[in-house]
This record gives sequence, C-alpha cells and structure tokens, in this order.
Amino acid sequence: MALVRDGDARAFEVVFDRHADAAFSLAYRMCGRRNAAEDLVQEAFLSLWRSGARYDRARGSVRSWVLGVVRNRTIDHFRREAVHTSRDVSDDGVAERIPSPDDTVTEVQRRDDASEIRGALRALPADQRHVIELAYFGGFSHSQIADMLKLPTGTVKGRMRLGLTKMRMELGDTFGSMREVSQ
Amino acid sequence: MTDKDSTADERECGADVAAYALGALDPEEAAAFVRHLDACTVCRDELASFQQVVNALPMTAPPHRASPRLRRRVLRAVASEPRGAGASGLSPRPRRMPGWLSSRPAVSLAAVLVLAVVVFAGVRLTSSTGDLTRVVPAQVTGRGTAELRITQGRGELVVNRLSPPPPGEIYEVWIKRAHGSPAPTSALFSVTAGGSANIGVPGNLNGVAVVMVTPEPAGGSRAPTHPAVIVARLA
Repeated sequence: MALVRDGDARAFEVVFDRHADAAFSLAYRMCGRRNAAEDLVQEAFLSLWRSGARYDRARGSVRSWVLGVVRNRTIDHFRREAVHTSRDVSDDGVAERIPSPDDTVTEVQRRDDASEIRGALRALPADQRHVIELAYFGGFSHSQIADMLKLPTGTVKGRMRLGLTKMRMELGDTFGSMREVSQ
Repeated sequence: MTDKDSTADERECGADVAAYALGALDPEEAAAFVRHLDACTVCRDELASFQQVVNALPMTAPPHRASPRLRRRVLRAVASEPRGAGASGLSPRPRRMPGWLSSRPAVSLAAVLVLAVVVFAGVRLTSSTGDLTRVVPAQVTGRGTAELRITQGRGELVVNRLSPPPPGEIYEVWIKRAHGSPAPTSALFSVTAGGSANIGVPGNLNGVAVVMVTPEPAGGSRAPTHPAVIVARLA
C-alpha cells in the first residue's frame, strides 16, 4: 500500500487483482445488476487510487478497507436512486461464478473461512438473518427495516443483536484461527 | 458498569451496538452512540466483537469473478489519471477568481461581458466546485439530456433519463480533435434505472473538439460501430 500511496500504478494493479473478485461479489450481492456492480467497483477502486494515502493499517486490513469503500459507494448509489426494491441475487446469477479451488493456500483458507461464515449466517433463525442482510447488504436503517417489516424498531435492533451475538459465538474459533483473510 | 454513562442504562445502550456495527442507526442516533462509546467500556467491547462479524459478512456473498473487461476499465482509467493529476483535479479547492479576472476592475468588467457572450452561445460557466467549470450542453439522440462539465481540462459527462444501451452493448465515450477520427477512451458505462450516470472522461480535454458517446458491443470498440447518441461540441 505504501507504493500505491506513492502513485505506483503497478502496485495498484496488484491490489486490484487481489481484491477485485471480493469487491465485485459484494457489489453484485448488494445491487443485483452486473453492469451496476461493475460501475460501482470501478468507482470504488478509482476512489481508492485517488485517496490511497488515507488507508490506515491500524484500522484494519486492506481488504476490509476496499470492501468498506465498495459498500459505502453502493449504499450511496441506492440513496441516489432511491431504489430499494429487492436486490437479492440468486446463486445462479448471470455473473461468472468463481471456479473451484485451484489457487494458493491463502485462497483455500479464505474459501474455508467464507464457507464457515456463510454457514453461521444460514444457521440463524430467518427473522434474525433477514434484518442483518437488509441492513448490511441492503443499506437500510433499522427504522426503514421496521417500517418494511411492520415491527417495532426495538424488535429490529434486538434481532440484529441476537443474530450477531450468535454468529460471534459460532465463529469464535474461526476468528481465532483466521489468518489475515482480508489482507 | 461504574465507568458507564450515568444517563443510559445497559439495556438502552447495548440495544444500539449491533445496529451501529451494521451501519443501521440513523445519523443522529449514530452520533449519540459514538458519544456514548467514550464513556462505556461494555459497549466498546461488544462493538469490537460485533465488528469482527460484520467485517466478515462480505464473505457470505456468493463469490463471482470480476470480469477482464472491468479490470481493463479500471486499469486504463488509472493509467490515464496519474496520482498527482487525479488528486488535484478532484479535490475541492479554495474558491478563487483567476488572476486575469480579478486584477483590475476594468479588466474584470470586460471579462464578465465575455463570459456573458459565452453563456449566450450555449456554454455555461459555474464555480460550484471551487474552480470555474465550463458546462457544455450536449445533443442527445432520442430520450434524455446530457451535459459535459469541464474543470481544469478534465471532463465529466452527466446524463439523465437516457435509455439504457441495447442488450449486450455498453455506452463508450469517444473524443475527437478538429482534424482526427474519434479516439476511444476507457470510459464505458451503462445508466441507472432512472437513466442517469456520471462519467469521468479520461485525459485532458484541451484541444478536443467533440466528446461523443456511442453504443458498442460489451467491452468497447476501437472505432465507433454505431451513430453517436450523445454529442458535446467543445469548439
């Protein structure tokens, strides 16, 4: 990242190659349209290129930073468009799915971790999983979710808390052994 | 709990931690919660544990491969925007009048008259970004509007209510100098459901006579294969 900060385009290329799939997967999961997801990922990476100096290692991994920018861009996009219709993407979406493992040890580790995290989310009761997904991938506030689901805001917050607590307990060992999946 | 904000009991503040970690508090609530965090170690600890979960949530998205086309677009855009130029071209700057406009009252008056003529000729000048921005209305074939905003030689094409490109195609931005053929840029785009898009035109527009947009096969073309749907004449 120091090289990216200094404006080294080759170093930026390495960062792009390392995180582009995760960035695109997140944007596509959030907005559900391939073209829009590509536009958002492009915007996000260009903003990273322009603001490389703002990356602070102490505040997390490069991947978390990249994905945070992608998510914020996507939520900004939602707000601009005020399009809050269903954006779920089924697993058989039109984008090319990543083929099975053939990569490095790090990638294999990442896939294993991702599988456990997906499992922990899937294992939540549907009502808890739903509010977490609406908030994280949909960019909705708890009050919007409460309106949508016709629930008191306290119930929505409570479900979020219960869901995250269960995932935290379920994934304790995974987090403990997780290599820097997000590097 | 002794170091906790005395105005909030554990149940109240704890109830906001998960929503805050998920970015789901409304802005005022989030600001209040951040203030509360300063005084509440219990919430700080809970937030740290939730943050780890939230940071992992992107990994639950079904994995997809970013396309080579996206890679080309991003890297071409980066290549056309060296860090120094990119940063300086995009950062807000202190609002100031160019020296030639502010040095002498008589010159300033003459300059204002010139600007007025330019406005009547169909080109607007604004300073909303801190630098003078030239706004060039563009001709659109079919539905929609478009204008090209040029600040310090860098262009941004802003389109609204434009029809999406035909299936399997994408819009490509071209630049044309007075005596040349349209040259492709790395700017490929589609539009939102509302038909809008903001597209940075790569490179410097000094000496460019026309910025135009054509629908092209996905991935773009080296030469236009369709008539232009947007034409902005700079000269």
